Amino acid sequence: MTTRPAIAVTGLGMVTSIGTGREEFWNALLAGKCGFGPVRSFNTSGYSVHLGAEILDFDPRTHVARLNPSMIGRSSQLAIAAARLALADASMDLGTIDRSRAGVCVGTTSGEPHFIERFDDRYVQGEMARAGDGFIRGYPCHVVPGHVAAELEFAGETMMIPTACAAGNYAIAHASDVLRAGRADIMLAGGADCFSRITYTGFARLGAIAPELCQPFDRNRKGMVPGEGAAFLLLERKDEAMARGARIYCEIAGYGLSCDAHHMTAAHPRGEGASRAMAMALKQSGMAAEDVDYISAHGTGTPTNDRLETIAVKKTFGDLAYKVPISSVKSMLGHTMGAASAIEAAVCALAITHQQIPPTMNLHEQDPECDLDFVPNQARKCNVKVAMNNAYAFGGNNSSLVFTASAA
Amino acid sequence: MKRVAITGAGVITSFGDSPAKFHSALCNGERAAYRLDHSEAGVSVCRQGGHIGSFEPEQYLKGKPLRPLDRTGRMVAATAKLALENSGWTVEMLRGHDVGLVLGTMFGSVHTISEFDRRGLTEGPSYVSPMDFANTVLNAAAGQTAIWHNLRAINSTIACGATSGLMALGYAADLIRYGSHTALLAGGADEFCFESFCGFDQAGLLCRCNGHSEFPIPFSAQRSGFALGEGAGLLMLEEWNAAVERGASILGEIRGHGSAYDPAGNVECGTETITRAMNSALHDSGILSAEIGCISASGNGSVAADRNEAVAIHAAFNGSGDAVPVTAIKSMVGEALGASGALQAVDLLQTMQTGVLPGIRGLEQPGPEIPALNLCRDKQEITAGFGLINSVGFDGNACSLVIAGASPGL
Repeated sequence: MTTRPAIAVTGLGMVTSIGTGREEFWNALLAGKCGFGPVRSFNTSGYSVHLGAEILDFDPRTHVARLNPSMIGRSSQLAIAAARLALADASMDLGTIDRSRAGVCVGTTSGEPHFIERFDDRYVQGEMARAGDGFIRGYPCHVVPGHVAAELEFAGETMMIPTACAAGNYAIAHASDVLRAGRADIMLAGGADCFSRITYTGFARLGAIAPELCQPFDRNRKGMVPGEGAAFLLLERKDEAMARGARIYCEIAGYGLSCDAHHMTAAHPRGEGASRAMAMALKQSGMAAEDVDYISAHGTGTPTNDRLETIAVKKTFGDLAYKVPISSVKSMLGHTMGAASAIEAAVCALAITHQQIPPTMNLHEQDPECDLDFVPNQARKCNVKVAMNNAYAFGGNNSSLVFTASAA
Repeated sequence: MKRVAITGAGVITSFGDSPAKFHSALCNGERAAYRLDHSEAGVSVCRQGGHIGSFEPEQYLKGKPLRPLDRTGRMVAATAKLALENSGWTVEMLRGHDVGLVLGTMFGSVHTISEFDRRGLTEGPSYVSPMDFANTVLNAAAGQTAIWHNLRAINSTIACGATSGLMALGYAADLIRYGSHTALLAGGADEFCFESFCGFDQAGLLCRCNGHSEFPIPFSAQRSGFALGEGAGLLMLEEWNAAVERGASILGEIRGHGSAYDPAGNVECGTETITRAMNSALHDSGILSAEIGCISASGNGSVAADRNEAVAIHAAFNGSGDAVPVTAIKSMVGEALGASGALQAVDLLQTMQTGVLPGIRGLEQPGPEIPALNLCRDKQEITAGFGLINSVGFDGNACSLVIAGASPGL
């Protein structure tokens, strides 16, 4: 782009297993609070693992005002809550905006899985004839951005980008393009996924779920912990944000998206695609590797992910890889699937704002193959002007976003 | 801003596997819809539908095991092969250049997802297949296709219901116009399966659920719903200069697009929203409505959506809507969901190339609430430099895209 407008992050809202809303969430992260517990939303007695990161205290009625919360799925409820929190955080007066120029872009892994799960319950019970229209009205994943837009009466582009566990990053990247192209004035961009039996069953079958603890980059790590959550960033063109006197957390400087084209569920053994995404993000941002002050890792806690992610960071950063602090908040709130990278994007924005990095918790004995600075167990105060948010997904999808401190 | 050349296309449809065969079948008024008798899990229904009975993935996808790909994945990988071949991208060229994929889909494969879950329920969670789990993610078809064809640039999946395919084309076009991408496969796919069929049927959206016409007849006084179809369509989009440089034959150009959402919707998409999407696509293209030579409407036989779209076309064309010929290929293809917009785009390119626009099969008397439009009852000879494509979702999404054909002026 010849004139590339700067994109500002002006609002943050999230619902997670360790806290709801920016302040509560950030304080929980700095305190190293973990959101794990035995799964409650379905019976796991037939499984060999029982750990999950569910949000226990969520009442949709406190957030969903215009729509009927009982008519929409849990991912939509979580998304609406996060969206309303982000708008409130941005002090955005909805009365002043042109709703036809306000859009929503969401990433997800499963959309509204509870609807297909109920469909399947009925199927095995031979009760399909009673299914009614709830399934088709509630299930297709694009209803999530639709419900957010309907709740807020946004009438611009609404889009779902279901690129699995990297989806939040894809949604934020696209929303920044929509603003740069002048297709909208404000965009809510983020991710949402509710706790899903299907997802849990699959990861349990892969042997990827940790029995007791999520401990990314630890020598004894045993897997990830499936979770749920939602987060939105409110994005505006920087000049317009400044004109309305908005607080600017940071800017989205650029992104890189690539595909391994190697394996559906395993990352490339030499970190080829992930490294390419990081390099693209740096190039688009006009940044060099030495400019990066913090990396928010994908860091799921599975033996393979953490080892290959370390390789990919080294491939991109060379010797500098040992100097840049890296942390995984999945050690605290589990893997929230399509919401994860959106939540982690908010973490990058907050790290830049507060000049502080949340820790990788439960990291007691560092894996010699993961020999970088993973900010173990203790939040760290340090200079963060540039933060990179990495996320990877089934399908070999790689994504990197670069956030930078905003010069006035 | 860079220009977006269309250098090839691939389709898997119930009318065959090439854009030319597809177009000629539509011009001949063939109908994919046939009677389906579905009896499963205590549900018994009999409706029109558009299942591709003859799809044989082995015909297109050779040399590697097909087992990791589900049916949707196979349809998309096969379509990608056809589009790559059609645009002259060889395996060697793909080794040296990062090509990307942007796939629109409404459901991914809800059949794969549901079967996986049901196996867990009936046989126990340890008896599900890890290979099937990989296909339960909504971006599975795009990922599998990237692996099959070695597509290493962006790999994105766009889900916007029935507008997914057209939204994916717009998304990909912008990556080329404003970004650094030079070659992207883009389009959409959805398969016909029990799960989606059952869902639409129970919601009363399929033809003859609650009306009189057994067939989907867009804009007709007799319309009573749509017939569920299936298919896949992909266009090869390339940055104009790069396409010219490699000597590609250019079939057309994506000139612009626009989308809008009806927040009052969730059941249907209002007229104002559809008009807004069309106007925004025209504005983005830098052309006037008077320059549009043909319209490929979203019309699929739905009672409310067809009326709203017709009123919106009338409004966007300032009352001169009765001059522009309008077709609605879902009268033959059925509602192919995520594939629809891409299949409409493939057909409109063929239309502009051959100068023949397919008619709306079965249309005799438009509904009394349909404003005066030039609805083509039969195929019609036309000369069009620019064509407009509409996609209207069941739940508030509207998207429009403007393409230029490879006419002499291009």
